[in-house]
Amino acid sequence: MTATPAVASEPAPPAPATPNAPNAPVAAIELEHVSRWYGNVVAINDISFALGPGVTGLLGPNGAGKSTLLHLIAGLLAPSAGQVRLAGRRPFGDPTVYHEVGLVPEREAIHPYLTGHQFALLNAELQGLPDAGAAADRVIATVDLTEAAHRQIRTYSKGMRQRAKLAGALVHDPRILLLDEPFNGMDPRQRLHMMSLLRSMAAAGRVILFSSHILEEVERLAEAVLVVYAGRLAASGDFRSIRRLMTDRPHRFTIRSSDDRRLASALLAQPAVFGAELVDGLLAVRTSDYAAFTRALAGVARGAGIRLFEVAPTDDSLESVFSYLVRR
Amino acid sequence: MRVFGRLVLVTLQGLLGRRRIVLMLLLAALPVLVGLAIRLGGGRADAPAILDTLVIRTVLPLVALVIGSAALGSEIEDGTVVYLLIKPVPRWVVALAKIAVAVGVTLALTLPAMLVTGLLIGTAQGGSLGSSLGFVLAAIAGGAAYASVFTTLGALTTRALVVGLAYTLLWEGALAGLLEGTRFLSIRQATLGLAAALGAGDPDVATLEPIASLVVLALAIAVPLALTALALQRFQVRAGD
Amino acid sequence: MSGAAGNIYDLGYRGYDGPRVGRRAVAVALLRQTLAASYGIGRGGRAKLVPFGLGALGLLPAVLAVGIAALVSQAGPAGPNLEEASPIRHDTYQGLSATIVMLFCAAQAPELFGRDQRYGVLPLYFSRSLGRADYALARLGGLALAVFALSIAPHIVLTLGAVLAATDPLTGLANEAHEVPRALAISVLDAGLLAGVAGVIAAWTPRRAYATAAIIGAFIVPPIVVALSARLAAGGLARALVLVTPGDLLDGANAAIYGSIPDSPAVAAAGLPAWSYLAAAALGIAVCVTLMLRRYVRITV
Repeated sequence: MTATPAVASEPAPPAPATPNAPNAPVAAIELEHVSRWYGNVVAINDISFALGPGVTGLLGPNGAGKSTLLHLIAGLLAPSAGQVRLAGRRPFGDPTVYHEVGLVPEREAIHPYLTGHQFALLNAELQGLPDAGAAADRVIATVDLTEAAHRQIRTYSKGMRQRAKLAGALVHDPRILLLDEPFNGMDPRQRLHMMSLLRSMAAAGRVILFSSHILEEVERLAEAVLVVYAGRLAASGDFRSIRRLMTDRPHRFTIRSSDDRRLASALLAQPAVFGAELVDGLLAVRTSDYAAFTRALAGVARGAGIRLFEVAPTDDSLESVFSYLVRR
Repeated sequence: MRVFGRLVLVTLQGLLGRRRIVLMLLLAALPVLVGLAIRLGGGRADAPAILDTLVIRTVLPLVALVIGSAALGSEIEDGTVVYLLIKPVPRWVVALAKIAVAVGVTLALTLPAMLVTGLLIGTAQGGSLGSSLGFVLAAIAGGAAYASVFTTLGALTTRALVVGLAYTLLWEGALAGLLEGTRFLSIRQATLGLAAALGAGDPDVATLEPIASLVVLALAIAVPLALTALALQRFQVRAGD
Repeated sequence: MSGAAGNIYDLGYRGYDGPRVGRRAVAVALLRQTLAASYGIGRGGRAKLVPFGLGALGLLPAVLAVGIAALVSQAGPAGPNLEEASPIRHDTYQGLSATIVMLFCAAQAPELFGRDQRYGVLPLYFSRSLGRADYALARLGGLALAVFALSIAPHIVLTLGAVLAATDPLTGLANEAHEVPRALAISVLDAGLLAGVAGVIAAWTPRRAYATAAIIGAFIVPPIVVALSARLAAGGLARALVLVTPGDLLDGANAAIYGSIPDSPAVAAAGLPAWSYLAAAALGIAVCVTLMLRRYVRITV
């Protein structure tokens, strides 16, 4: 991989994002130089990517364009420039594509005067399912809404509404699932349940794209991320690989050893290391070359006769990746 | 077919069971009460004129406006229409279902008023069952046309109510006194013309020709349907976060 | 990274300790904002479409009348005869523009009163030195001023037209001087009553569609009932109803002010004395203001 930083000020070239499933014949979701503007405001600025089976997280702060991007993919917005392909077709104005696509929108409210069951049934019937009633019951059970299924949606809490929306999107067992902030308002137990559901769906070959501004959710569920910031695609792929691409930011490690002080001076002799500090009883090391450092560390420690108890990369989290990306 | 039925059902569920319906029933009851009052008071020569003005000029368009703009417009405003659009259902089917419901509910609400008025016209001096029927048929056609047009307004603009009111009160209201050549642009005139052709209505008042009336009403039902289908086909969610 | 001494620069919120304008200034500012918002000023282009469209329609007859008078006077000496023959005069304008003004109220009142309630921003207003009553009065006052402007503009156009068409401006002004207080009177009544009723309905009905429908219903349906009860010879009822129906009440008040005949035959038939219209209008305005105050003083936010 090249050593260019993942964030560029000029348009990024199209890059395949998901690492999984090399036998996916055609990318289920494909964007080519897609832009969307409203008058003078550019909401999406020249974004290109292709997604296959697996779970991809769309990460970005509020206002970055995540919802706009999902609406573009779902055919609820037309791109001002570029092309969107969903299941091989252009989704805008082509309702047939929805046979294999489910969407959970964030902003659009569901019918408050329907009950949860009626809403699921509505979705099932509009999808043309042969046994709509059974499908509705099944999906209500999947999202754990059975007790409340015969109450009107206007009486539901926020988490219940989310689950009702999810039920509607899952009722026809779609190959492609688009979710806009799906875990909003869910309690931890429900969130875990949904995450494991999505993971199992992805393992079965489905294409799942979900958006969030909560790093922990994306970190936990997504196999790959698309980071959007101010309408641009800031990075794509596995976030650890992204981190490694960011060579202009030093990597940080936290080391606990039998003799931090001597280890520090030994490490500073290494060309890859350019900083070492003793902080809170731990040794914090900054290095410019991840691979070289990890290879050299064990040798250095053994040579100096120092036992290593704990070695942890401290900025390998999605949070640090994200904060580096958006601070540019 | 089941898809169409489900669309109709969900639209009905959205329209009914709200204060809206109660208000519309009150409005539609007005001509019935007046008709009864006239009947009990022994009947009057100008009863038909009073009532058909009341029904055709006021009740019909206002009920159609409220129902029509709610059938599709309020769904678009709330955002719930999205759930109907991200389905493998041709958009014209959705449009047809919405308009069908708007027309149906409007006619259902106003039918008693139309029947009462029709009967009173029929039993007035020199009238007949034929002219009653004529009036009711014309009112049905007019109601369908109004409902269709106003539903489409709901699809095209967020201010459907105001535009519809401006059309009904200003355009159709003023037309009565002004330019004759623009009569064909008024559903009211077309309805009155059809009524006259079917034997009802005041023979002294000049109205639109029968053929022209039929054409206008037919277009007023068909063209909005096409426009709504087109609008839904190219539907985009509103901007703004 | 901070230096050895360690400094944190607070670039965020800064308190303000200087002099603050009082409650009255805040209320006036809200009034001005409401007036501007009534015409869509301060919001996007589409928001201006309906109010300015209706305003233009309201002015149209006046402009036409002045234009035609000017053209005709070019062709020959028509003068004052034309003015009296024209159907577009000061005393007839109320009838001409009533519907437009009512539409304006029905279109804009829900925006002014309903939005704050729908978006839950009332606590932001009430937690300032602006009291609840001030908020209600400022909003209502803004709408009333907007309606006043809408109402009086055509009269101004007609007066200007007459002044400019006269042999010399000063004579024209002298001739038209008596129109000014009458135009002011009817515009004030228009503004107070129509804005009042529309405002009260909008304040009690946050949902825009319901509010618009209810306002128009309140303006249109009662005159029909009045007309019907008059024709069905329930004269007493008709007479009583005229005084509580905004449309007919203004019709009667206009006739009272200009000494002309009311447009609606029902109102004419009712034969109520001139002062009763004006008294009823004043009472109606007072009732509206009270209801408005009551709504906002008691609303739970």
